[in-house]
Amino acid sequence: MIAWALPMAANAQAADQGVIERGAYLARVGDCVACHTAPDGKEYTGGLAIESPFGTIYSSNITPDKQTGIGDYSEEQFARAVRDGVRADGAHLYPAMPYPSYAKTTDADIHALYVYFMHGVEPVNHRPEQTDLNFPFNQRWAIAMWNWLFTEDEVFQPDPNRSDQLNRGAYLVEGLGHCGSCHTPRGFAQQLKGFDASDEDYLAGADLNDWLAPALRGKGESGRGVVDWSEQDIVDLLATGRNAYTAVSGEMTSVVANSTSHLNDQDIHAIAAYLKSIPAHTGQAGGSASKAASPDKSDIAESGTEAKLASARDLSEGERLYLDNCNACHFTDGKGAGHIFPMLDGNSLVNADNPTGLIHTILAGAEMPSTPKAPESVSMPGFAWRLSDQEVADIATFVRGAWSNDAAAVTADQVAEVRKTLPEHSFSVSPGYRSTGRDQQPTSGEQLKGGAPVEDDQ
Amino acid sequence: MSSMPDDEQRRDFMRRSLTLIPAVSLGSGVTLTASAAEEPPALADYQPSFFNTDEWQFILAACDQLIPSDEHGPGALETNVPIFIDKELYGPFGHADRWYMQGPFITDGDPELGYQLPYTPRELYRHGIAAVERYCQQEHDKAFSALDAATRDDILGRLEQDKIDFAALDAAPLTAGVFFSFLWQNIREGYFADPIYGGNKHMGAWKMIGFTGARANFREWVEQHNVPYPLGPVSLSGERG
Amino acid sequence: MASNSTVIRKEPVDAVIVGLGWTGSIMGMELTDAGLNVLALERGNDRTNADFTYPKPADELAYGVRMEMMQRPSQAAITIRRNLNETALPNRYLTSFLPGDGVGGAGVHWTGVLYRATPVELKLKSFADEHFDKGFLPDDMTIQDYGVSYEELEPHYDFFEKVCGISGQAGNINGQLIEGGNPFEGPRANPYPLPPLPGTYNNALFAQATKNLGWHPYPYPSANVSQAWKNPYGMQLGPCNFCGFCSKYGCLNYSKSSPQTCILDALKRRENFAYRTNCEVTRVELDSDGKKATGVTYIDGDGNRVFQPAELVIVASYALNNVRLLLLSGIGKPYDPVANTGVVGRNYSYQMTGSIDMFFDDIEFNPFVAAGANGQVIDDFSPDTFDSARHGFIGGSYIYTAQGSGAPISNTPTPGDAPKWGSGWKKAVKDNYGHSMSMGTTGTNMAYRDCYLSLDPNYRDPNGDPLLRMTLDWHDNDIRMTRFMRERMLEIVRELNPRSHVEGFKNFGDHYDTRHYQSTHNVGGAIMGTDPSTSALNRYLQSWDVHNVFVMGANAFPQNMQHNPTGTVAALTYWSAKAIREQYLKNPGPLMSA
Repeated sequence: MIAWALPMAANAQAADQGVIERGAYLARVGDCVACHTAPDGKEYTGGLAIESPFGTIYSSNITPDKQTGIGDYSEEQFARAVRDGVRADGAHLYPAMPYPSYAKTTDADIHALYVYFMHGVEPVNHRPEQTDLNFPFNQRWAIAMWNWLFTEDEVFQPDPNRSDQLNRGAYLVEGLGHCGSCHTPRGFAQQLKGFDASDEDYLAGADLNDWLAPALRGKGESGRGVVDWSEQDIVDLLATGRNAYTAVSGEMTSVVANSTSHLNDQDIHAIAAYLKSIPAHTGQAGGSASKAASPDKSDIAESGTEAKLASARDLSEGERLYLDNCNACHFTDGKGAGHIFPMLDGNSLVNADNPTGLIHTILAGAEMPSTPKAPESVSMPGFAWRLSDQEVADIATFVRGAWSNDAAAVTADQVAEVRKTLPEHSFSVSPGYRSTGRDQQPTSGEQLKGGAPVEDDQ
Repeated sequence: MSSMPDDEQRRDFMRRSLTLIPAVSLGSGVTLTASAAEEPPALADYQPSFFNTDEWQFILAACDQLIPSDEHGPGALETNVPIFIDKELYGPFGHADRWYMQGPFITDGDPELGYQLPYTPRELYRHGIAAVERYCQQEHDKAFSALDAATRDDILGRLEQDKIDFAALDAAPLTAGVFFSFLWQNIREGYFADPIYGGNKHMGAWKMIGFTGARANFREWVEQHNVPYPLGPVSLSGERG
Repeated sequence: MASNSTVIRKEPVDAVIVGLGWTGSIMGMELTDAGLNVLALERGNDRTNADFTYPKPADELAYGVRMEMMQRPSQAAITIRRNLNETALPNRYLTSFLPGDGVGGAGVHWTGVLYRATPVELKLKSFADEHFDKGFLPDDMTIQDYGVSYEELEPHYDFFEKVCGISGQAGNINGQLIEGGNPFEGPRANPYPLPPLPGTYNNALFAQATKNLGWHPYPYPSANVSQAWKNPYGMQLGPCNFCGFCSKYGCLNYSKSSPQTCILDALKRRENFAYRTNCEVTRVELDSDGKKATGVTYIDGDGNRVFQPAELVIVASYALNNVRLLLLSGIGKPYDPVANTGVVGRNYSYQMTGSIDMFFDDIEFNPFVAAGANGQVIDDFSPDTFDSARHGFIGGSYIYTAQGSGAPISNTPTPGDAPKWGSGWKKAVKDNYGHSMSMGTTGTNMAYRDCYLSLDPNYRDPNGDPLLRMTLDWHDNDIRMTRFMRERMLEIVRELNPRSHVEGFKNFGDHYDTRHYQSTHNVGGAIMGTDPSTSALNRYLQSWDVHNVFVMGANAFPQNMQHNPTGTVAALTYWSAKAIREQYLKNPGPLMSA
């Protein structure tokens, strides 16, 4: 299935095909392609603009081209770049490159990745746009200090008290998978607050460019999100971008498409088992509030929402707008339908403290990635063209308080702020109703006086 | 296995879902007012694109006769049906863009074999209105729109019954019955189509009968048997009634 | 008009598929599974699920009235006549039947009623020979057996039902009859994948009335799915929400089985599959002795004439268009009704339909709560479930109620005495909207010697090719059948006791009236069979004359069954694909000896 993504270099036969394939697989795990490919660029040629708190960082060309890529890197230099964030010329990479996580990669895996990038990737001569940050962030030497303060550079050590499966899961999640880069909160200097499960902030959920990257700590009695999911639910989400409860959105869409959907069953189950082994705690984002923790949101209130929507009488603005725009797929019980229409009741994005992700989804829509195991690209339409800021706020406020949900109201001003960030093309996904007039029609000169036979312009 | 020629199409498909979703932080600051807020034009202010002034007067008068305003609900004029017809004739429908319009046009075949006139809807309206106006001048020395309601009704009834001889009015091969059937079909379309097409102003016709418009989801109503549905309609553009 | 006379020659492929609807998509999966490089050519536009997201399809004018999902007659109309002496005239805009256009074909806008043929429907001629007196059937009736049995097709019906997530109630599993299902269906290996849809009030009334009459109501087998479903290709459907925009519309909720929801995204991922849109195939090209196809010629979106070489040609467009392509390409001998020779065009048949609208004073039906296959049905009057000979005909109908749309341009029925326009019309519409329910009958149409398809001598398409000409009229056997069904439906009317009702049935002496929608179940014209003198295709849907041409579609039906064709069309496609994969590819050549 992934063969089209792996253009073989002419000298591929020279290297061990098995090592190349393993390297290609590990590159999937690390999702290298996501950042090292510009939207319209060739794979691995860099140039993707990555918004960071320091400014815009452009990714580099990592094809084996000798002038513009990494063709001159020795394996040792490659290892330093991946694990320590240090270029061949000694300069430090910006920590948009997740080397603090990649540091855990074993020597054997580094070797396979190196062989893949040298022999399994076509060299492309392309110099992407260069990163140009303002002072003090253009001072690359400062990163060395940051690294010394905040990163750990240990290669992964299996824990003899854990099963092989859990160790494998930990290695993938903490290392190449670099899940923590988005799902672990960051500290005052943008450093990750924890690199493994021993730290209670690790994978506790974070706000990523205003979009909730929910907590992934999955061991617990009950609660929202991963805590309530089975191992299989996690497997489903990573393999297909969708599960019985929800579907991926935002950045995770591309992670599933480019990375996790290509993992083998064993690895994906190891990841799920590991996440289910990390104890959840009440401070974690987008998954902490258990249903029981909200005494005013009893089962009666839940069925109250459903019954009121089903009766379609005496509706609030938000309820009416929900019926007119959302009910088609998410239904009066807010439960949607497994693997296709996400459940809104208890949904982490719906209930996030920061409603930006929810507002963005209502305005711009969403689309599930096509994956090998779930090929259908299911999409939710955007409603930016159909709903005013106040109407979106009414809907968002309603769904954040409906059923067992219990999140703060949303204002029209918040919607307006998100709307401003939408690129123009997100409005072009509005239905293309045929125009009732034809542009090329003359508007005069063909009109008849009196009703003589017509010579129309057919 | 040889490489397939349309590989790029597959790549596009695989990538599409990723490029459709814009990153929150990459904005160009577009703002848009929801289109539901746009008020449809007043009929009196509307400048027809297709009809000329005399034809427009006929359309207004015919619409008023065929769906009058009364205690049962709004009429065709209140709901901007003439605007709908003008827009439709100005657009692809008026040009018969989907129709097979190659000759020979055999117009004396069995009517059961369907429409065989050489006319697009635009041409059909031009000829049809002209024929009716000639008839009104001959019989009543007035334009159709200047006649009283009873006379207009009588003329429309004759058109429907194909009892006005269009051949004698130099309108052959068009017949009164065919002209009426188009007129009446298009009027009903304008009355009941989504307001996005110019008629059914503020969904007046939908509200009258209890049609729900573009809401398009009723799972919870399937088994609520014999219970009146309480909610007004919503339009494609999100107008609520 | 294709102005460019130079022909572009493309790289050869293993298999080319003409048309990317249901059968083209199924063949795409099967032939890529077999390792072939497959290219599909589609005349219309590309269409994906994203083109049908809410609320775009909820637009009656665009889709229900202007027919924007359908084949454009401007590109290829059909001419129609009722007998050999009449001059056929073109169906200038769509009326009587609605072929689809674009990727997904009619599989996007179909209603979603998915049936199997019964065992008897597939061998109707043998059944007739056994059960009717000699001389009972009219001399000019040309009904035949399919040449494939229900038992042979059962696994393929079963699989396609899983592809679609069909929602329904089985009536016969391995011979075991099940209460609430259709007791007259052929034995099934498995129940339907999903439970039946819930039903609107008309369904409950119909079920009660027909039970009272001693008949056996069951829910429509529905491709509007009742629950979320993941099919064998990993494709997904969501529960139908009764949006009310179904037949003639693309589904806005991933709820109607279609090539888009059930196959295409999985197919598009395959490296050995590709498709091109806006490519109209005008000829299947043959080698010098006419025994083997070399590929197809098509006109692309820029008007270029293109030759696409291929080892295998799958003709998979709409039934009528398939027949026309065979005639234009000179594959098989054209049928001559006078000499009664030839096969291509032979045994064209249609569907015998009728309806009754009932008007009530105090019942709320909420007609906008609707789905295409939201209905209840009886099969008590099928070809083999009662003694039709006693009533003077062969054949039968199912009788049903459905609430499929409340969209008001086309669905505002009024009682027969209501004014047709003006204030009185408006009052009648207002008073009756939501207070009426409809019943219909969908019945067999036998094949006759004078009902057939041919190329029209007078009318041409924009490429200069002759249009397809349809010659069809009603015969007394079929009119007797529909009059009998009318009587049964009037019994239901008496049970339900409405204030008034309006009926629409054909009567003796009526001719085919093309002005009104009747059915898009156009079948026959390139039928399957076991005798090359009476069929264009062998029992594997392989052309008798050109062995590397296989033709998918309802054109293979020797006469029309009462049940909707899509299930059988799909099952036959899988059946043919199996023969191609297991027999033909190993040893290309005729799969049956002539």
